[in-house]
Amino acid sequence: MATDLQRVWRKLTWPWSPLSEREASEAIVRNLWLHWFPAKVSGRSLSWSYSLWLGTAAASLFVILTVTGVMLMFFYVPSTERAYGSIKDLQYAVSFGRVLRNQHRWSAEGMVALVFIHMARVFFTGAYRGSRVLNWLVGIALLLGTLMLSFTGYLLPWDQLAYWAITVGTNIASSAPLLGWTVQYLLLGGHFVGQQTLLRFYVLHVFFLPAVVWMLFAYHMWRVRKDGGLAAIEAVRAERRAEPKPMPRSKSYSLFGLTPGTSVAVMSSMGLEERDQVASSPNLTRRMILVFLAVFNVTLLLSLLFNAPLEGPANPAVTPNPAKAPWYFVWLQELVSSTTIHLGSFTISGGLIGGILVPGVLLAALILWPFFDRSPASAEGVWFARTRTRQNAVFTIISIGIIILIIVGLYLRGPYWHLYWPWSRRPVLPQVL
Amino acid sequence: MAERQDQSFEREDFAWLVAMSIVFFVLVAIALWREYATPWRPWQHRFKRVLAQAGRFEDARKFHSGFRQIWNPELNLADRCVSCHLGFEWGGILPASLPQPLTPHPALSYMTHHPFERFGCTTCHAGQGWATTARGAHDGGPGWEEPMLSKQLAASCEVSEAELIQMRCNFCHRRDVSTEGMDSLNMAKKLIKRRKCLICHTIEGQGGHTAPDLTYEGDKSPEMFDFSHVTGPKTAFNWHVEHLTDAGKVSPGTAMPDYNLPPEQARALALLILSWRRINYPPQYIPEAGAASAAPRPR
Repeated sequence: MATDLQRVWRKLTWPWSPLSEREASEAIVRNLWLHWFPAKVSGRSLSWSYSLWLGTAAASLFVILTVTGVMLMFFYVPSTERAYGSIKDLQYAVSFGRVLRNQHRWSAEGMVALVFIHMARVFFTGAYRGSRVLNWLVGIALLLGTLMLSFTGYLLPWDQLAYWAITVGTNIASSAPLLGWTVQYLLLGGHFVGQQTLLRFYVLHVFFLPAVVWMLFAYHMWRVRKDGGLAAIEAVRAERRAEPKPMPRSKSYSLFGLTPGTSVAVMSSMGLEERDQVASSPNLTRRMILVFLAVFNVTLLLSLLFNAPLEGPANPAVTPNPAKAPWYFVWLQELVSSTTIHLGSFTISGGLIGGILVPGVLLAALILWPFFDRSPASAEGVWFARTRTRQNAVFTIISIGIIILIIVGLYLRGPYWHLYWPWSRRPVLPQVL
Repeated sequence: MAERQDQSFEREDFAWLVAMSIVFFVLVAIALWREYATPWRPWQHRFKRVLAQAGRFEDARKFHSGFRQIWNPELNLADRCVSCHLGFEWGGILPASLPQPLTPHPALSYMTHHPFERFGCTTCHAGQGWATTARGAHDGGPGWEEPMLSKQLAASCEVSEAELIQMRCNFCHRRDVSTEGMDSLNMAKKLIKRRKCLICHTIEGQGGHTAPDLTYEGDKSPEMFDFSHVTGPKTAFNWHVEHLTDAGKVSPGTAMPDYNLPPEQARALALLILSWRRINYPPQYIPEAGAASAAPRPR
């Protein structure tokens, strides 16, 4: 009886306790889904405090987004006539439609935030050096992919916000030198925002961009493995290499044993010792499930508490006052508006400075940064290394600047794009009745 | 050594895994409960009892609780109001004194030409037909431009609810000279003729060209009006009322004469002007001019 109960309990709880190292390794190697992980992983890489598991959290959000997105695709109609109504149906008529859309929306906004914070973590730990430069560049592409996914997704409900966000966004694109008009024409599928535009953004959002991001993400993960794991192990690796190794005792080695250091037989491929590593299954997989569950719970809780915003149906004749970009782009809108200069009856649009030049320079800086980083190798994989203080300060100041612009754009801009304190009274806009 | 580290990860993570799983199940249970506990369900239970109390036992037995809507793709209409407003078709059987949302719809003479299953609710009453919550349906939420024409909204405009609704009757009946049940707007239409508005204004291609074309004046965004000389509430309706009463005050230097219309005439005219919108109803819904009392033709 007791053994029966034990067996049932084991079936219910589904424990995984490999009996040997080999069994643990095979669990990874033999599994299609797990075998992009190494069979063994350094304990340092698994720590909460080094990576904060931000990349895994962002990837979890992407999984949630893919699943909820596919489910939403069963209901959404990418037509200017039906798009808005199908979102309203999701909100009010479809079973779990509201929570599904909320979760998709909050996960998307969370992913933008987490991908950025993940990038900040990599920067502050100096983890983009050496062979990891390539993965830093892939990461930047993933950040851009995430932003483009958010922007294209934002437009699909075809509400006022969507319509005017496309209008503002593509107008900014058109202020780019040389190619501006072509880019705008390509994005809109014509000269005006219409059915062609919605269809283009829809295809980009549900097929093209997710496919690109999925492939880049897979490559990103594979590169982590090829680079030997997270940069946190570099310090351990250096330490282990410097450690004097005991002389091998076997007779056949005695000739070679005269030289100091380790032999092939005692040095693992990562330069790490047995004691630095644990089996990926179940240590890495368990933590991944844990992070995924935590992320899922947070997004579900948010979806139960807050509804994804939806404005009135798109109306080309009426611009919402003020028309604001989503928070992750509102800092650009703020830049565009504050660099727009009025000289008498002349207006010099800030579209080029705020919309193209500043983000372009920031992007170029991100791409080129690792190639100009002259800090010593000891700064690799360490949080806030002293030798990188100045670099970290520059990154922090720019990030804080962007956050301030976001706050100003999001909370201080009121009707007619005037500045208001959050507590000051804003003018009441006229109504029909 | 490796063994020990493995175990330390397990010890550290297991409690969290259990906690997160519990949170997960609780949240999923809440989501399931919220899917079931819709705001309309209690009203449907009550309606079943109301039917039984009225002696309609057979109907009460047949009444199934569930999501309801009036759907008419011709008008792009899915009015879920009837998920709560269950008594609308039961006039004559259920007492008119039944409190909302179960109150039967009053049996107005023109209702025979405007059956519920073709016109739904929002065609006349406005509001957000898609919504299944009272607030969503009545206010529509941020950015919703067609709030329900309620008694409160009517009171704020100093007209009756019926007069507000006449504005929406005129979406289809705009070419009628006079329509049954549209007393206020009928009066306004007479005023247009009597005050000779068409000498200066163009309405539907007819009239003078010295003043703005008013054919689709109702589509104009309220932000496009200049409220700097308007004393009352900042609404397009009130702008028109004050402008019709004293054009020189609202738009200094205007060529429009001061008509000094009595308030009820100014309000009726303002409602008529607001009803002039670009509405794409199918032709079978638009009555022929002068044939106001005839039913819309069946297809």
